[in-house]
Amino acid sequence: MSVRLFFGYDFAMSIERKEVEHLALLSRIGFSDVELARMEETLDPILAYVGRLSKVDVQGAAEYQDEEPGLGLRADVPSDCEKKVQYIILENFPDKLGDALRVPGVFENPKG
Amino acid sequence: MIQLEYTIASAAKALKEKTVSATELVRAYLDQIRVRNIVLNAFLDVHEGVALEQATESDERRAKGEAFGDLDGIPLAIKDNILIQGTRTTAGSRILETYKATNDATVIKKLRNEGAVFLGKTNMDEFAMGSSTENSAYGPTQHPRDPERVPGGSSGGSACAVAADLCIAALGSDTGGSIRQPAAFCGIVGFKPSYGHVSRSGLIAMASSFDQIGPMTKSVEDASLLFKAIAGSDPLDQTTSMGRPFHPSFPRSLKGVRIGLPKQAWGDGMEAGVREHVEEAIEIIKSLGAVVTEVDLPEAEEALAVYYVLMPCEVSANLERFDGIRYGRRETSGTLLETYLNSRGKGFGEEVRRRVMLGTYALSQGYYDAYYRQAAKVRALIHQAYTRVFEEVDILLTPTTPSTAFKRGEKTDDPLAMYLEDVFTVGANVAGVPSISLSCGDHEGLPVGLQMTAQRFADDELIDAAYAYEQARL
Repeated sequence: MSVRLFFGYDFAMSIERKEVEHLALLSRIGFSDVELARMEETLDPILAYVGRLSKVDVQGAAEYQDEEPGLGLRADVPSDCEKKVQYIILENFPDKLGDALRVPGVFENPKG
Repeated sequence: MIQLEYTIASAAKALKEKTVSATELVRAYLDQIRVRNIVLNAFLDVHEGVALEQATESDERRAKGEAFGDLDGIPLAIKDNILIQGTRTTAGSRILETYKATNDATVIKKLRNEGAVFLGKTNMDEFAMGSSTENSAYGPTQHPRDPERVPGGSSGGSACAVAADLCIAALGSDTGGSIRQPAAFCGIVGFKPSYGHVSRSGLIAMASSFDQIGPMTKSVEDASLLFKAIAGSDPLDQTTSMGRPFHPSFPRSLKGVRIGLPKQAWGDGMEAGVREHVEEAIEIIKSLGAVVTEVDLPEAEEALAVYYVLMPCEVSANLERFDGIRYGRRETSGTLLETYLNSRGKGFGEEVRRRVMLGTYALSQGYYDAYYRQAAKVRALIHQAYTRVFEEVDILLTPTTPSTAFKRGEKTDDPLAMYLEDVFTVGANVAGVPSISLSCGDHEGLPVGLQMTAQRFADDELIDAAYAYEQARL
């Protein structure tokens, strides 16, 4: 169910099970049925609470940008990797073949 | 027998005067951890061997007259979302149970250069998401005074470790209050610097536009010492800037300092005991010569809602990297998609999953404008409101938390009730301004926290105000 509010935004009043399942897939997180039900139950009051923001008059406001210049973007240049760092990266691989990371196939039905 | 109630300043003096060695100091704290951590669960990992090596090196430097400075030989605890190269870094999550940090965080490199000793990594709410340390995949941390209560979160392990004398000081991280709230609950000092003062390189990211690393200490002077050691611009974090130089003067008077009490903070939403102690603090502050006035900050009432939209959005992006592929726990399943679903489904706890889902929702088609863009615009209004109010006053004063430490399990069934714990702390993260919590007394045996907030990059003015009040209370 959704309601078109004052500033023209559609604002979902209550999240439905199908939407929770879709979000879980988008988030790449697996849930049991019990966990999905718990998520549905607990998301609603949070969305209701943050929904108060729809009543704030933001006419003329731009989205927040930090005014501090910071250091600017780094140059996109390659750098060396210390042996020690390389070693730890390899140690962290959950599954490896030599120095190569072994991963599930990207394509479920590869050609050839 | 070494008495363990050191501050950085008193331990540095004892080391200089050679009344204690770094090795003796570190051994004493390691012994204390061995005795008390089994119950408190403040530390997830203790780096005993390396800590003793660091202590020995510190003593050798000092013997040659080459000690680095006040932090040389000082034993510190580090929150487990800050990387120390080669050591396990879990962020309180099962998905990183076996992960070893590939690099030192910039703050760790800086502290190494000062000769500090790292006792180990402290417990935290998973990926810094929580206000009680009950969301840790490695069990909760106990409150240092009351075994049935929480130490706060998400830097609950660090707060407990400092309060229980398992270390001299600690580092935590603060995204919505995660240094200040546990500091308030445990009766210590917790300082969230201005956004951009401390590099986030090597901090496991939660919400990148809010996260800051900061000190958790026994005193304001210690917070200042530790902050100076870790602050500074860093090419590895392009949001860093020193803004203006940090020169606290540690005054005893607050003559002429303008203190603002945001009227929105003084409604019904705080326990009577908290109100009583914070009001006493205001009287002390007035007696120090400060000018105390009420200020109006209506936009600050929206800070919590803004935070609980924007933070999950940034969380959902930042936690995409935890997919079981290159590091961490992998639940190998039939297809790549199933591997992602199972690795993240089993590796993430409930609160982490909830915030990722909230962020995904707020960023998704059809909801992006209503949630994310709207919240980002309200954030801009809040930021402007803080800038305006700091033309009228120098320091804002509120309680740190609406209550003292609550009982374990009291809020775990109601996520929104837990989120409301952040009501006084989030404003500073939303606006990027510095904020500190320090004790203003005990209510029924539990510490009450007083929070001071200053304008961005006025961290030294904030430290000065906190110091003057702290000294007046001693």
